[in-house]
Amino acid sequence: MSNEPQSVSDSLQRNEFVVRKERLYGRLIAASAVLTILVTVGIILSLSGHALTFWSEISPIAFFTGTNWSPVIGESYGVLPLVSGTLIVTVCSALIALPVGLAAAIYLSEYASERVRSILKPALEILAGVPTVIYGYMALVYVTPLVDSVLPLSLPVVPSGLSLLPEFTVVVPSLRTFNALSASIVVGIMIIPMVSSISEDALSAVPDSLREAAYGLGSSKLDVSTKVVVPSATSGIVASYVLALSRAIGETMAVTMAMGMSPQMPYFPNVLRNLAESSQTMTAAMVQIAGADSYGGGPTYEAMFALGMTLFAITLTMNVLAELVRRRFREAYE
Amino acid sequence: MATESEDVDKLRRASGTRRRQLKGRLFEAALLGATLVGIVSLLVLFGYTAFDAFRPLTASAQWYLLYFGTLVTPTAAFTWYARRNPAVRAANAKAFAVVFGALAVSLLTYVVADSVSPYDVLLYLLFGTVPPLLVGLYARITDERTYSGPAIPVAAVLGLAVAALLYDVLRPLVGIAAQWVAYFGITTLPVAGILGVVVARRWSPRRGITAAAAVLVSTLLVAGGLLAAGIDPSFWVVLFSAFAVPVGYVVGSTVVTESDGRAGVLGPFVLVGGALAGAALERQLAIEGLESYLTPTLLLNSWDGLTASNAGVYPQIVGSVVVVGFMAVLAFPVGIGAAIYLEEYAPNSGWGGRLATLLEVNISNLAGVPSVVYGLLGLALFRNALGFGTGIVVSAAGTLGLLILPIVVVSAQEAVRSVPDSLRQASYGMGASRWQTLRNVVLPESVPGVLTGTILALARAIGETAPLVIIAVATTTYTPPSGLFSSATALPLQIFAASANAKPEFRHGVVPAAAVVLLVLMLLMNTTAIVVRNRYEREY
Amino acid sequence: MDEEDSAPTIETTVTASDQSAERPSTSSTGRTVIEARDLSVYYGQERALDEVSIPILDKQVTAMIGPSGCGKSTFLRSINRMNDLIDAAHIDGELYFEGENVYDDDIDPVALRRRIGMVFQHPNPFPKSIYDNVAYGLRVQDRTDNMDQRVETALKRAALWDEVKDQLDKSALDLSGGQQQRLCIARAIAVDPDVVLMDEPASALDPIATSKIEDLIEELAEEFTVVIVTHNMQQAARISDKTAVFLTGGELVEYGDTDQIFENPEHQRVEDYITGKFG
Repeated sequence: MSNEPQSVSDSLQRNEFVVRKERLYGRLIAASAVLTILVTVGIILSLSGHALTFWSEISPIAFFTGTNWSPVIGESYGVLPLVSGTLIVTVCSALIALPVGLAAAIYLSEYASERVRSILKPALEILAGVPTVIYGYMALVYVTPLVDSVLPLSLPVVPSGLSLLPEFTVVVPSLRTFNALSASIVVGIMIIPMVSSISEDALSAVPDSLREAAYGLGSSKLDVSTKVVVPSATSGIVASYVLALSRAIGETMAVTMAMGMSPQMPYFPNVLRNLAESSQTMTAAMVQIAGADSYGGGPTYEAMFALGMTLFAITLTMNVLAELVRRRFREAYE
Repeated sequence: MATESEDVDKLRRASGTRRRQLKGRLFEAALLGATLVGIVSLLVLFGYTAFDAFRPLTASAQWYLLYFGTLVTPTAAFTWYARRNPAVRAANAKAFAVVFGALAVSLLTYVVADSVSPYDVLLYLLFGTVPPLLVGLYARITDERTYSGPAIPVAAVLGLAVAALLYDVLRPLVGIAAQWVAYFGITTLPVAGILGVVVARRWSPRRGITAAAAVLVSTLLVAGGLLAAGIDPSFWVVLFSAFAVPVGYVVGSTVVTESDGRAGVLGPFVLVGGALAGAALERQLAIEGLESYLTPTLLLNSWDGLTASNAGVYPQIVGSVVVVGFMAVLAFPVGIGAAIYLEEYAPNSGWGGRLATLLEVNISNLAGVPSVVYGLLGLALFRNALGFGTGIVVSAAGTLGLLILPIVVVSAQEAVRSVPDSLRQASYGMGASRWQTLRNVVLPESVPGVLTGTILALARAIGETAPLVIIAVATTTYTPPSGLFSSATALPLQIFAASANAKPEFRHGVVPAAAVVLLVLMLLMNTTAIVVRNRYEREY
Repeated sequence: MDEEDSAPTIETTVTASDQSAERPSTSSTGRTVIEARDLSVYYGQERALDEVSIPILDKQVTAMIGPSGCGKSTFLRSINRMNDLIDAAHIDGELYFEGENVYDDDIDPVALRRRIGMVFQHPNPFPKSIYDNVAYGLRVQDRTDNMDQRVETALKRAALWDEVKDQLDKSALDLSGGQQQRLCIARAIAVDPDVVLMDEPASALDPIATSKIEDLIEELAEEFTVVIVTHNMQQAARISDKTAVFLTGGELVEYGDTDQIFENPEHQRVEDYITGKFG
């Protein structure tokens, strides 16, 4: 070295500018991370601002318990028909997606060979990747006529002629153009990958030593899968169910296009009629308000935010619940 | 204890065993069936859509035979041949990538520049790239590292700011040039520069300069020839520079340097040539062709709610591209920055650690928020708070950007996390700082993963509709967006609006065709992402 | 008698008379329950077991010792066809259980594993209650009569009953390592197998738990045939009636009475291994 350092500390320090520069970079990077919190803050603020304005004009009780939703014409803002619409779609799509998704997860995790898995897993992911407008379109234009071609359907559950029990047939009426069944079917298809992917991760995480123990006791593969692996992965499976339901609740385009915009309270006791009739979900109502060009303010515009707030609260609760279920009840295997 | 002889028999095929095995097989079949149910249903629905869009029954049998002969057979034969020889297969893949990639890039460039105005693009491009290039050149010559690093992006931002401020003065100046000159500046100059650098690195600086000069000269010749023939050369300048030149270079260099694989470059030409030959023969022999709705009209016209054969989605395609492109500019730096923070900078314990955990929890919650709520956020932010107009490009891009931010963060996090720690340790051990390690080791290694994640996020964004409806993007517009503050349009929105049109030519014709366009776009993007991931995936 | 004539480092030498005479071979009839004939196991191209021929006698403890990776566990797992679960595994030769070749095409491995139980190296109780763990095998085999009684018997036989009788509903994962392993043994014997295979059952446990397991094994041998793999030679010498020595390449080098193997082995390699010259 030609120049002796002035002191030991000189040779152990870096150029001050460089140090400051890199510290600045670090701060910029940290700032982008903090921005993500601002998004949540923004959501909460923007929703609550308008929602509270709405609930100061329209009583929350009337909102949450009212059974008539016609914001534009009749100025009544009862949310129950919308909730019922959302519930119908969520329940029916869950009936499709939850069993199918779990079955697919079990197959992929326990039975499928590597090659089959490498084909089927991405194939299932495609179901989630299709834009929801296209699902909505296919539901309206293809699913409804297809399903309607076999309806009305009457299934005799209890045939006539039995003296003890009254005759009871299940009648599935034919579908209206806009109906809840088509929407539920496509939403169900759409959320299958959510269930199957997360459940499969949970099933694969069950250690092989448990499977070996079960085989060693003379279990068949069916026993191992259903009596040992699935119960051990329950928390992950339940979490996947809750997340899938949350997704179904938040689904917008498919239900708007296929279910129409006629909010009504559910039909009792002919429950199946709800499937065949049009209804409206909370999300579809929001789209309707946005599309109706009512941007001058006023309760209709604010109603959109009130609905959004309700929706946000529901889905947030469910997502947090799913995470808690996953964490709290994660079975320790060792 | 079990008695011996009867139980030994039980080991063999007893009725209990057979029943158990049957039950097991049925169970497995049921599981497989359930797995396939969703996929099969979707395929059926896609089949209906494609059937309506393409109308395969309208073409005669001769038409199918014709294309089978000119297109399907040669391509299949070539692909089969290419697969057997790895060198040929590699060259084939490269050729396909460059042909279709360059085609896509050149078309997109032309279309976007055409909508927005090529002069504006040229102006911002010049002021945004020349200053950083100068700084970079200076740094290279003087071998200066400390100050030039931050100076490059700063120079770019300053350049853009100057261009924006002096827009009213500079724009007329730029507008003096003919339109094709503007396109020349947008495409030919960058292409020449990039090609020059590539050639210089691979062979020698002199060859690099020659290559760049050749590109410029040849493009000028093409333009000159077309002008002499009385044709506006704008589109062809772009096509030549951004498509013909890269394809020519890649194909040429492969043929010259790789003697065993060179046959592979024929792949895309067999495909395209077959299609063109088929089309030519179809016209020549007057064979009844496919009356599908997926025609050039669909891709080039704007919407016509009355005459189906006139209806097109060109403004919507351009609109989607512009919105999603701008969204990428807004969202990706923030998302990737947040991911880097969480993976590299965030402490593991103490208050900082709790903050990091909070950030991660927050991001996973944001990922589960319904897209309509993001629409409301966009509405409140861009229209109410910032006072922008309704449904403009900036608002749409911003809203979608907020929507995909969690996705970008999560996938970038995974990409950064997958870089093995041993590399970081090695870098620190040699006395590198955290930033240096990040910049020189971690980020370059994680680029493929980040790229894959971002392409997938783009694919997701292009299909999103609900937030755009909420922020009142117009559903049917007749011109593509002309700037960042003009009305936005998007393809899925058009599909949504047109679904109400019950006329059969629309409901079972134009709209499925538009849906097919959207699906093809998404398929291309997803395929690109997968190709990127597979090609650059490193086995550690 | 200590072997003083070998090399100075004699710490590891073991003799049969070191142990107290508690080996219960009184209930054995000397009948061959399991017999391997030229049994070879391949994982892909790699041979893990090299033409092993060995008998396992009724109600005796047969120990298999040898350095790591010499095929002991592979042999154990081929007895109850657990190797079937590995795709690349391939068998040559024959293995007879009660006179039947278990690798014949129409033998059902599930039925086989109900007659031959297995205890693994790391305790692997199911994440269920203690009761449900022991009852699992019974439920799966549809033998649900007198379940409570059977569970209690199994837990008593596994010397765990007194410790858990008031907390049968507790999760099995709350037990200590040694208790979990005894639970796994209880689970395996609850279904009354003919043979119990044990793959290094005490190697993951502390010395006190280990000695409890060893006492347990000696008691179990009064009712079950036990085959145990262990790399702990003193353990093998303590508890087993017969010993088989596996050395490199999956080769069975010597088999015989435990006393004879440890005091006067026939092969030099075995003597080298036992005296600690290698392995």
